[in-house]
Amino acid sequence: MLDREEAKLRRSLFLVQDKPLNDYVNRIACRLAGDHCPDLRVYVVRTPYFNASMAPNGMMQVWTGLLLRMSNEAQLAAVLGHEIGHYLARHSLERLRDAKSRSAFGQFLGIALGAAGAGGAAPLAQLALTAGMFAYEREHEREADRIGLELMAKAGYEPIEASRVWAQLLQEIEAEQDWSGDAGSRSVLFASHPPAEERQQALVERAAQIAPAKAETGKAAYRAAMAPHRWGWLEDELKRRKSGETLALFQRLLQEAPQDGELHYFLGEAYRLRAAEGDRQRALDAYQAAAKQANAPAEVHRSLGMLYQQQGERAAAQEAFRRYLAAKPGAADAEMIQLYLKEGV
Amino acid sequence: MKKLLVLGLSLLLTACASVSKVGPGEVSVKDQLSARLDSAWNKVALPNNGKSEFWTTDGVTLDSLVFYVGIAEGEPLAEQAGRQDKQQARFRANMPAHEVVELYGSVISEGGNSFKLDRLAPAVFLGGDGFRFEYTLLRKGDEVELKGVAYGAVRNGKLYLMTFQAPRLHYFKKHLGRVEAVAASLKLRG
Amino acid sequence: MQQQALFMRAVFALVLVFCGAAGAAANERLAQGFTALPAGARVIVMPMDVELFSMSAGGVLEPQAEWTTLALDNLRRAIRSRPTKNGAVLDTFQGEPDLMLDDFNRLHGAIGSAINIHHLGPLKLPTKEGRLEWSLGPEVSLIKQKTGADYALFTFIRDSYASNERKAAIVIAAAFGVGLSAGVQVGYASLVDLSTGDVVWFNRLIRGYGDLRELDNAKESLDALLQSFPG
Repeated sequence: MLDREEAKLRRSLFLVQDKPLNDYVNRIACRLAGDHCPDLRVYVVRTPYFNASMAPNGMMQVWTGLLLRMSNEAQLAAVLGHEIGHYLARHSLERLRDAKSRSAFGQFLGIALGAAGAGGAAPLAQLALTAGMFAYEREHEREADRIGLELMAKAGYEPIEASRVWAQLLQEIEAEQDWSGDAGSRSVLFASHPPAEERQQALVERAAQIAPAKAETGKAAYRAAMAPHRWGWLEDELKRRKSGETLALFQRLLQEAPQDGELHYFLGEAYRLRAAEGDRQRALDAYQAAAKQANAPAEVHRSLGMLYQQQGERAAAQEAFRRYLAAKPGAADAEMIQLYLKEGV
Repeated sequence: MKKLLVLGLSLLLTACASVSKVGPGEVSVKDQLSARLDSAWNKVALPNNGKSEFWTTDGVTLDSLVFYVGIAEGEPLAEQAGRQDKQQARFRANMPAHEVVELYGSVISEGGNSFKLDRLAPAVFLGGDGFRFEYTLLRKGDEVELKGVAYGAVRNGKLYLMTFQAPRLHYFKKHLGRVEAVAASLKLRG
Repeated sequence: MQQQALFMRAVFALVLVFCGAAGAAANERLAQGFTALPAGARVIVMPMDVELFSMSAGGVLEPQAEWTTLALDNLRRAIRSRPTKNGAVLDTFQGEPDLMLDDFNRLHGAIGSAINIHHLGPLKLPTKEGRLEWSLGPEVSLIKQKTGADYALFTFIRDSYASNERKAAIVIAAAFGVGLSAGVQVGYASLVDLSTGDVVWFNRLIRGYGDLRELDNAKESLDALLQSFPG
């Protein structure tokens, strides 16, 4: 019988239903879980924050903010492996002290909500979405990290990628702190888990001791699987208005894929929205870099048009707006752009 | 802690919030705008609603008609709680319509709501040039799907924005006509 | 939009403040022009929107799926054994709720909150002039087509229970003269006319006791929620 929370999650309007994406994520979970594969179900939830969770019944949730942040399949495998680690560890625990472990299952949520609430992200009924998550003490986190790493190596993933997940997240949080002074750690994981630095270090050391038979990162496969969805997730990221984190993220993604016009465009958007000293020029540079790439989105020309217009470069602005309209004549904002063309912004 | 905070807020609400009737007839909004109403609305006054005014017909969890009146250069639409100064989205006088929509979109997305722009077009507002946009909002808290329509214009470097949203089921359609009439009648005073 | 966010968050908490609110006159519970279910009316009981939470020492609420399942079973049993007046027939909705029913259930939650705050609660809406005047809209006729019923009964219940740590916190806080809530039951029930969508009867339950995890208590709570049910 399906648990109530799972039935509810399945009907949630925030659930990402796309079959290829769900198949892809579940395939990785299965590759890691081996014989336990039939026990697990992974759900992708549209939420622009970094988190994943595992419920005692094998229901796993992965948020789109996390998927956006992984560089490759091995990194996602590290997160899934960690969560599966919880699940596997629970089995031995539960046999020993069923009642005790059951009562512990509620804890994570309280902490999770506290953390989410600090980010202004926890209206009460959001409880329903995070429902089913459960708490582990720090020792359990370390254990899950350990098991996760072993599962990764066994499944043929490059184990060092696990530590990179943390390094990347730390980098974002530091960037936000540098920019806004926000001491950060919005992340649910950070509130409830051992310090990220410590975990990262431990994962580096342990990865060095493992010599897997093969060590894939699965970068190309990961990019291909995320590609159809990434636009919406990048838009979600911009709406958070955490410019420090967002810029650090986009810059890192661009380092990994310097030819990606879509990413250049979103980097430009992040600068344009931040609108700090010098950001206009940075945005302009990013848009122009985007426009040179094969997969430059039409929106580049819309944004360029607005910037040119504000700088008084009327002819360049009109040219840019025309290009946008030519590529997207039926866009939701086409009428507005036509007015910009005629009368300026 | 969070819970206590919410409890405190609700005490504040009941102590300080009040509802009064606006209209029918000629009414003023924040002393700067005037509107002519065929039917009455309920104005919900809060202690901290700054440069905005909040109206409803069926209640705060259902329909909301919000006026942001005279938002000046560098000001946020609404102060977003728990954010540092640099994390607040702010109005700039040279913003095109698109950027005002983005400003509103990021404020309304707070807390995980999902905002999607459905249409943006020029429109007459406050008796002159302005813009109108339509959107869909999926509310995180209870997963109710809302439809929204908004009018905006910049006058003397200040932003005037009127937004309306209500559940897609029944409530949006129910009030849309009245909302359009409010928008059409809205004028800057003196 | 801050006001709205504030409201959304305060909706649940707001009612905590009004525990034991004075009983309202019966006609507050009925829409204008509606007095009772017609004889032999068919009422479909919609899938109940129920969530049970535990409340930790800090007052943080955690959903408890097992408790909720238990409570739902008890509530279903209670409603089946409930006698009706004037021959109204209460049928429980069969099968899994689909997307359309989910939509209406969600809308009902928002409507129930609005009625709770603005009709029975403190923030009265002057334009309503005290009338119970809310609707799910004519699109509910889809439910009529699907089930053949004339009316639908929607219920929304949120219930929380203090954990042991919470109970300890309450004792400590009381020593300092601070009153903390020990967990509270909030429920809305609406009877909806399936040809118009109008809420013709509404009741709420707000109190600091009652345990839906036990059958007898669930029965008692449901009776309290359906007290003044017009049929």
